[in-house]
Amino acid sequence: MKNVIVYVEQKKGATRKVTFEMLSEARKIADALGGRAVAVVLGSGAAQVAEQIKGYPVDAIQLVEDPAVEQFLLDPIVHYVELAAKNVGPSLILIPNTLSGRDLAGRLLARLNAGVAADVTEIVVTNGRVECVSPKLGGALVTHCVLRAGDYGIATIRPGAFTAAPGGSGAQIERHDVSNATYALAIERDVEEGSGEMALEEAPVVIAGGRGMGGAEPFTSMLKPLADAFGGAVGASRAAADAGWVSYSLQIGQTGKTVSPPLYIAVGISGAIQHKVGMRASGTIVAINKDASAPIAEFADLTVVGDAFAIVPELTKLVTAAKQ
Amino acid sequence: MKIVVTVKLVPDPNGVKNIDPATKRLVRAGVETVINPYDEYALEAALQLKERVGGDSTVTVFCMSPESLKESLRKALAMGADGAVMLSDAALEGSDVWASAHAMSLALKRIGFDLLVVGGLTDDGSTGAVPGALAEFLGVPCLTNVRKIDIADGKVRVERETDGGYQEVTGALPMLVTTALTIGEPRYPSLKGIMGAKKKPIEMLSVADIGAGDAVGAAASKTELLSFAPPPARGAGKIVTPEDPAAGAATILAFLQEKKLV
Repeated sequence: MKNVIVYVEQKKGATRKVTFEMLSEARKIADALGGRAVAVVLGSGAAQVAEQIKGYPVDAIQLVEDPAVEQFLLDPIVHYVELAAKNVGPSLILIPNTLSGRDLAGRLLARLNAGVAADVTEIVVTNGRVECVSPKLGGALVTHCVLRAGDYGIATIRPGAFTAAPGGSGAQIERHDVSNATYALAIERDVEEGSGEMALEEAPVVIAGGRGMGGAEPFTSMLKPLADAFGGAVGASRAAADAGWVSYSLQIGQTGKTVSPPLYIAVGISGAIQHKVGMRASGTIVAINKDASAPIAEFADLTVVGDAFAIVPELTKLVTAAKQ
Repeated sequence: MKIVVTVKLVPDPNGVKNIDPATKRLVRAGVETVINPYDEYALEAALQLKERVGGDSTVTVFCMSPESLKESLRKALAMGADGAVMLSDAALEGSDVWASAHAMSLALKRIGFDLLVVGGLTDDGSTGAVPGALAEFLGVPCLTNVRKIDIADGKVRVERETDGGYQEVTGALPMLVTTALTIGEPRYPSLKGIMGAKKKPIEMLSVADIGAGDAVGAAASKTELLSFAPPPARGAGKIVTPEDPAAGAATILAFLQEKKLV
């Protein structure tokens, strides 16, 4: 492992914040390993994304504008990232720890005979040895894991763990040819349903509602305005998703998403372990709950005991005024 | 159609999790072993497919685990699986994702399948990378996060959940799919199922049986676990019971301003 490859997830010419975080970290790792940092952008819209990322400190941006990336499930991406790895040479491959990122990591680890460190929040390079730090068991433990010396290693990177810092003297954009490979899984329809992982996992503030909301309506009439006041996103506990009040794409917890925003406000959420493991790494946790003995009070930084339906609208007013 | 479901045996997720400081592995002693709850969704999907497709379809459960945990597999048989195969060998201990997926793929090649169903997540600190790696080692397409599946004449049509919605994807058998939790709640074993499970076969395989050679265990792994520790504890928080809602809101605002979050 000498070089660093960043796989840039993109859709229709837009990418995620984690991309910029990975590009910035890739430079540091490549310098420590004495190699190059290379970004790989694939699919229709890749050229647009290359423009957005060229202000970040990588040496080169490999670009393949192949529409097969949108027409077939993951296989074209696996194919092109493998080609890039062979082309760049022995390298550490950084992939965002998202649904499709985890699939990609698994595919590549078999193709490249590589080790994988998952959900990485810190990478330490010492004399060529790559050590990855990851929270495990829902944050109950932090592990340090070494990617053994070999040609390739893979780390899936937790969004928000690294700091994005533009810089460098402008990456060289390399266009690569479209492959004539054939792929097995055809995407017949691709349907977007409102806010997804990107909004929730990358939101600087998450306002989450639980069983105490009592129905679907408070999520839109009460929590959404507070989230808007902060410029954040609305999330939910499993109880709220199971009750059908919100889509499962908003669920935070063991069976849902893991978030770690600088500010997390839990409204009417008891804080059962199922939920806690999905948000305990948040910077500051505020709870609004009618029950002072709810488990969430044990790990929230501030718990306000009272009627959320009265407190939240007041708070929305105060935050809106304070931000003006 | 031959359906194989991979399951993992894990310490009860509702139990306490401890790691042995010497071996750096999960301590299983004193904690009940159960089928990884997410894998029960995979099994449920397989059983429903078998019922729909009919004919001579079978559902076989595959598990890589110490032999001492064998009886924990009976629940899968009680739910309706026709049989089980277990890959057990001391040489497998300490396997990382690469080594685990590699050994599993050799066993699965030997078992054979038309459709391989894998649970979406594991509950004991895994990486989410196993299904993709298995598919590559087995040379079959990999369709993840599936919530609905239809199979006719070897053609597969699924709905799979994505970060922000869903996709309809088509392909052909043989194939690996992983299941989303929305595929349907796992059934409870019936009394008849529980009685019948006692007589169903659990075939045992060793590393020699699958011809894995030296490519197993900690020595063949591509990663090495150095250390683990609990994260820094959060300081005890403040609990405030305000006089009225406005005071409660003001308390929160002042707290956030102090932390420069507003």
